[in-house]
Amino acid sequence: MEALIPFTTSGSLVDLVDKKVLVILRDGRKIIGVFRSYDQFANFLMESVVERLYHKMEYADRDIGILLVRGENVVAVGEIDLIAEDLIPLREISVENIMTRITEDNTKRDKDQIIKENVLREYGFVSEGREGDAY
Amino acid sequence: MLPLTLLNAAQGKPMLVELKNGVTFNGHLVECDNFMNVTLREVYQTSADGERFWKMKEVFIKGNIIKYFRIADAILDSAFEQQEKNRAAAKTRGQSARGGRGGPAQRGARGGPPARGTPSGRGRGTGPPGRARGRGQ
Repeated sequence: MEALIPFTTSGSLVDLVDKKVLVILRDGRKIIGVFRSYDQFANFLMESVVERLYHKMEYADRDIGILLVRGENVVAVGEIDLIAEDLIPLREISVENIMTRITEDNTKRDKDQIIKENVLREYGFVSEGREGDAY
Repeated sequence: MLPLTLLNAAQGKPMLVELKNGVTFNGHLVECDNFMNVTLREVYQTSADGERFWKMKEVFIKGNIIKYFRIADAILDSAFEQQEKNRAAAKTRGQSARGGRGGPAQRGARGGPPARGTPSGRGRGTGPPGRARGRGQ
């Protein structure tokens, strides 16, 4: 059991119960929902969950429902300030629209990345990871 | 209700399991344990890019490679009702048997054979090893 003790900091999650929270997963996804319960491994349950997709100053929400997240996969959990939330100057658009924009951006970036890496390799640089690869 | 309690309550119900590598499994939960290992039946597997699919009769997924579970809304309600029912049943049973604490099995009971007809009916429970302890959420 000694090996489990480092995980006891999940106790600080008690303040988030029944609050609206934003969760960032290790794969880069942003999850918004009501935080319901958690355990010593920071596995937790969320209700009324949506996945929020961002593209520049636009966003879209994809309905998920109830989510049980294994604690290992979480980068950060934070309470959402309900008042400040309304002041965010983002515009909601449909999931389909945002997906086409995101994929367009991704394909363009991937293409650019390959070109950049090829140039850098000639100068003896090794390619680095992208954002999100660190965790 | 604790996350793994809900998972236990969801046995037999449909759900989606996503692995850390992005592969997803859609199926009915057969069994699960406290390590989050699960077995599913009638499973549709989807590759991480979402372009390939497989159908399988039954799969076992080791808990440590799971990212998350998506569970149907209705299951939280039914699990909650079931929990309340169990709690109420345990309460009435406890009262009728020996009056409060030290009743058989379900609360605080630890070790020893069931001592029938204990005169006082007080003190630490003496039923068979129960599940006991904790807040019973």
